[in-house]
Amino acid sequence: MSQAAPGGGGQPLLQVQDLRTVFRTSGGDVTAVDGVSIEVEHGKTLGIVGESGCGKSVLSLSIMRLIAHPGRIASGRVLLEGRDLAGLSNNEMRKVRGRDIGMIFQEPMTSLNPVHTVGFQITEGIRVHEPKASKAELRERGIAALERVRIPSPERRFDEYPHQLSGGMRQRVMIAMALACSPRLLIADEPTTALDVTVQAQILDLLRDLQAETGMSIILITHDLGVIAEMADDVAVMYAGRVVERTTARALFEDPQHPYALGLLGSIPRLDEDRERLLAIQGTVPPPFALPPGCRFNPRCPFAIDACRAEVPLLREITAGHEAACLRAPVEESVAA
Amino acid sequence: MSGVNRSGDGGTLLEVENLAKHYPVRKGLIRAKQVGVVRAVDGVSFTLKRGETLALVGESGCGKSTTARLVLRLIEPSTGSVSFEGTDITKLGGATLKAFRRRAQIVFQDPYASLNPRLTVGQTIMEPMEVHNIGDAASRRARVEELLKLVGLAPYHAQRYAHEFSGGQRQRIGIARALAVEPDLVVCDEPVSALDVSIQAQVVNLLRDLQQRLGLSYLFIAHDLAVVKHVADRIAVMYLGRIVEVAEKRELFDNPRHPYTRALLAAIPHPDPARRGRVQPLGGDLPSPLNPPSGCRFHTRCPFTQQICKEKDPPLTDGVACHFAGQLPPAGLDFSGGLTEKAAQRMALYAAAAGGV
Repeated sequence: MSQAAPGGGGQPLLQVQDLRTVFRTSGGDVTAVDGVSIEVEHGKTLGIVGESGCGKSVLSLSIMRLIAHPGRIASGRVLLEGRDLAGLSNNEMRKVRGRDIGMIFQEPMTSLNPVHTVGFQITEGIRVHEPKASKAELRERGIAALERVRIPSPERRFDEYPHQLSGGMRQRVMIAMALACSPRLLIADEPTTALDVTVQAQILDLLRDLQAETGMSIILITHDLGVIAEMADDVAVMYAGRVVERTTARALFEDPQHPYALGLLGSIPRLDEDRERLLAIQGTVPPPFALPPGCRFNPRCPFAIDACRAEVPLLREITAGHEAACLRAPVEESVAA
Repeated sequence: MSGVNRSGDGGTLLEVENLAKHYPVRKGLIRAKQVGVVRAVDGVSFTLKRGETLALVGESGCGKSTTARLVLRLIEPSTGSVSFEGTDITKLGGATLKAFRRRAQIVFQDPYASLNPRLTVGQTIMEPMEVHNIGDAASRRARVEELLKLVGLAPYHAQRYAHEFSGGQRQRIGIARALAVEPDLVVCDEPVSALDVSIQAQVVNLLRDLQQRLGLSYLFIAHDLAVVKHVADRIAVMYLGRIVEVAEKRELFDNPRHPYTRALLAAIPHPDPARRGRVQPLGGDLPSPLNPPSGCRFHTRCPFTQQICKEKDPPLTDGVACHFAGQLPPAGLDFSGGLTEKAAQRMALYAAAAGGV
């Protein structure tokens, strides 16, 4: 299991290149993820921001190759340390899931099986990947996993059922399960959305500690810009299946380029500001089977011009390391002109 | 038609005193015995002025939604009173209760579950008017059109069904339905928490506009303090069925006095990576309302707990329920920061280009 040294040679842990995931429907093919490229560095957190329907969850399932019929990955590559996951057999892919890439979901209530004990579920990944582990060893490692996610009295919790735990506790169990085989990448899909704010703070704190301990990379999928600001090193903003802005977390907040990112930032009420009105984005996200031509944000964009309806803007570098898929970025120059 | 004086601010519209809702917990199949009491709401008092927005804030299980339902008398209180313009509505029945219901409406949290899928939008909005015998068929139809425009939808939407709309649009329909009978009080039970961020902003702006135009009073239930900061005039923080602090919005954010209020504020992640790592999680879980802690209910999680906190239940005095209010060290919360010049400049351009929307 020895891997290349983190950061060694500058190769990112995960590279997604031009990924397209398509769902066949009665109304024709729907492209949920359309030409997405992202990179996750060793030991770093990539935040993926977007609203419902932007394709962020389909993206994470595509990375895990968990897209089921009628969906399929139509093109593109997913490279884990240079190894293309698309080329793996189903058996080889099963070895990647859980061992190399762990995943946690939004709903800690429904992601756990109610008829099995916490301990049984936590050790499931170990049983699959290391079938020779003894019962005593499983118990020991399961309890250690619970300890690691700061669950009080882990020996007792090991034998309990999910309904005996609170929401925050269940999410901790989910994290313990995902980390049981020490994956190098954790995909967290809206891990705190269903939780109260004080519990959310506990879980984010825990994820940060665990990352410092293990050096794992995290893909954090969320619609909450506060969580992004708190956790992410790099950010990709998604809209209607495409990445519209890609940069560091700092640059996204200090120097937002894409009008959609601007609108999102303006939409959130802030504690550090008093504004009479929030800057709402007009309209709604277009359904994936009725996408507008050109830039997909153009019907809602106040800066849209004819060119935005005619051509699809590609991600281009606005400043060093800061890309946006917008013809008019930076807006202060193009609007003034 | 529109009730008594609808004159902007001033008088007290709603006065809630010592309100409680206790649910008995029974065990056993045939001769069920009561084995305990869940104190969902346990002695809550507050007032709401005309044209004002009072926010009830707290985490799940704190009793804020139960309080909202008690205020509307959708459920019966165990003890306490709810006075609406001086009349105790917990004692009303028949026609007088119905008259109260016309004047107090609710917008629900889940825009997917709170609209009848078998009714058109027009029928949905018309239904409260039919229940209360307001107008005739023609005037109701006209009113539906008017309401749809008021909430930012189009008259032709009246013929459509709920499933044809997005979450934000459905919430607009829910708001139109609540306003159909020209209420004075609208209880908003987490009206934006199920919506996407950009849609949340649309609905929050709409609720504010409607309040200014129609002089509505809102009882706004929420768990998101940032949203609350934007909409509320006053804020009451609830914990385990009690109000632990109530204050003017500015006062609450500038000088939070209860340790729980501080913990809530400290737990919010700021949309500013420069201030990363300032979030301070509160330890522990919410205790069960079936068996709340003795003394001050927050003492099991409070960083300032003393012996007296475990023994004596602090009453809400001068807006805060804490033995050591005023003696605690400064909260040390920093909400400064805000947008960078560049971001602010681009947002101003955005707002100007969007026509001030």
